[in-house]
Amino acid sequence: MPWSRFDSNYRAPAGERDLAFVDAIREATDQAMCLDPRVFAMGLDADDKFGVFGSMRDMTHPERILGTPISENANTGVALGAALTGMRPILINLRNDFLLVAMDQIVNYVAKWQSMFDGQCAVPLVMRSVIGRGWGCGAQHSQSLQGLFAQIPGLKVVMPATPYDAKGLLLSAIKDDSPVMMFEHRWLYKNTGPVPEEMYTIPLGQGQRLHEGSSLTVVATSLAAIHTLTACEQRGLDVDLIDPRTIKPLDMDLILDSVSKTGRLLVVDYDFPFGGVAAEITSRVCEQAFDRLREPPQRIGFPEANMPASGPLERAYYPTPDTIGERIERWIGVEVCA
Amino acid sequence: MSTAELDTINPADALRMLRTMRVARQMSQRIAKLYPTDVMETPVHLCIGQEAVSAGLCCHLTDADQMLLGHRTHAPALAKGLPLRKLMAELYGRTTGCSHARGGSMHVFDPEHGLPGSSAIVGGSIAVGVGAALSSKLSGSDFISVSYFGDAATNAGVFHESMNFAALKQLPVLFLCENNGLSNVMPVAEHAAYEIAGVASQFMPVFRADGTDALSVYREAGKAVRQVRETRAPVFLECTTKRWMKHQGHERDDLEINPIDPVTDCPIARLERFMIGASLITPREILALAKEIEAEIDDAIEFAERSPYPQPEFVEA
Ligand SMILES: Cc1ncc(C[n+]2csc(CCOP(=O)(O)OP(=O)(O)O)c2C)c(N)n1
Ligand SMILES: [Mg+2]
Repeated sequence: MPWSRFDSNYRAPAGERDLAFVDAIREATDQAMCLDPRVFAMGLDADDKFGVFGSMRDMTHPERILGTPISENANTGVALGAALTGMRPILINLRNDFLLVAMDQIVNYVAKWQSMFDGQCAVPLVMRSVIGRGWGCGAQHSQSLQGLFAQIPGLKVVMPATPYDAKGLLLSAIKDDSPVMMFEHRWLYKNTGPVPEEMYTIPLGQGQRLHEGSSLTVVATSLAAIHTLTACEQRGLDVDLIDPRTIKPLDMDLILDSVSKTGRLLVVDYDFPFGGVAAEITSRVCEQAFDRLREPPQRIGFPEANMPASGPLERAYYPTPDTIGERIERWIGVEVCA
Repeated sequence: MSTAELDTINPADALRMLRTMRVARQMSQRIAKLYPTDVMETPVHLCIGQEAVSAGLCCHLTDADQMLLGHRTHAPALAKGLPLRKLMAELYGRTTGCSHARGGSMHVFDPEHGLPGSSAIVGGSIAVGVGAALSSKLSGSDFISVSYFGDAATNAGVFHESMNFAALKQLPVLFLCENNGLSNVMPVAEHAAYEIAGVASQFMPVFRADGTDALSVYREAGKAVRQVRETRAPVFLECTTKRWMKHQGHERDDLEINPIDPVTDCPIARLERFMIGASLITPREILALAKEIEAEIDDAIEFAERSPYPQPEFVEA
């Protein structure tokens, strides 16, 4: 099994080669396809000249990249069938909103196949999809649905925030023998950061600390983690910033460790608030570390409303580094002065 | 099949089609010109080259007839009766827009003119159109419904499920496939292993029209709509046409597989040549018409520009 050559705990030494987030995804995919002939990619426009925001361009094995019709439900079943019978598909959806067309296959088939047969089979299927707003795209083309899928047993959910994590998490996902969904925020694609050239994995379920502080724990995912980091750096906030990187499984040890230190929790997750990732993290911290909280936890996410199209509404709808920073200052700024 | 009688078009309808197509065309050209200035913060799927399909079809529809659209909304919505001002204001993100600035380019709404909404997730609105036909049947109404979609929407399972439903339940719905031969940059031969009309013929009678020729659409849509009204059962109409612009945005298409001849592929030029030849209009009158429409577009833009933006009012998370 070629995958045993991976060093799964590889950390990038500082000052290594910089790569854009989207190129990190491209490199991971290309390397995986070169390493293992069972790996192939499929999806609507996976093979077109734009190459999924550039993440699929100039691949070494174009013969293993299948463009598909607008048949997301069937595409997903087909990918599952291939995964059950020896292949390792990467199924790509240009927007996570299209996953909803394939809900039956994802929730009733992909997520359940292993447990329905008592884990006797592997389902090495990766489902990449793109989240985040474009530009006046409205309610059906701007969602971030990680919370919806994280709710389903049998699906792992990863959300890289940095180029390093994008490559490592995608390789972990491809290497994994169970279904993994990777949600990629389109606003991260152009961000750059150090990415090793060799292949490496990041254990699914291992978060990381992006900023060190002692007054407030902020758990933030994907673009929200980068926005919070920006707020911390611009405003010099005393924040312990945790990026779980994997939503499911969730690195509760790291989160609880931080909350024990700070006694306060804010979760920033760009998704609908009701029953979402932020609600889950908040409730777990309350269940497992209630006595260590000095104040009620807080959340930042989308409003309880569908995405509007008009510019001013859109700008008011989405949190930004400033709205996050102001909220944190209102909270711990007062506390520090008192 | 074209008898002399069917080829003869009522002059008022010819003029109506020309006007409808010119409104859509001139409006789209204006959008394309303004788009780079970012006054419209919404993705636009322009219909330049495809205007004859909705113009020819809508000559045969009433305001009571319902039409369910996908993402490429402008020309069909205008043809169905959506006022220019309401469309422009929606593109400008203003409260006076047809969806009160919540929808944007892909989500148009105008119940007065039989537009109960449109969807940007390809395929799903086909079923919604069948539902409108079910409503007509259950309520004992006369109106018919049109599910209006592109060639690639036929890739989706819901297309087949909807045709089966409509045929089994005998519902008065026209399946209108505006086939521009493209799914974004993918040619139809790469997204469909079937012949679209061939699949549809398993479920219902099929008509076909040349979607770059308003007269052909007018004739075939006339027959198709009449058959839906008379039989109260589903009918399929495929109009083959050409997309002149990129899938989205203000730029001309440049795909090798999609060569455009601005003379023979232009439904407006074709109809104008016919009308001039048949003495239904003069070149001078066409110029006057174009000017009149430009003034209407100016008015729609001014209306949009002086309309207010919505005030954000969301529940805090
Ligand atoms: C379920 C779904 N998958 C993918 C898309 C992205 N998408 C939007 S339009 C389009 C092409 C549609 O082609 P067609 O139905 O022929 O309509 P046309 O754009 O040619 O008018 C695609 C792939 C989508 N909106 N919905
Ligand atoms: Mg098409």
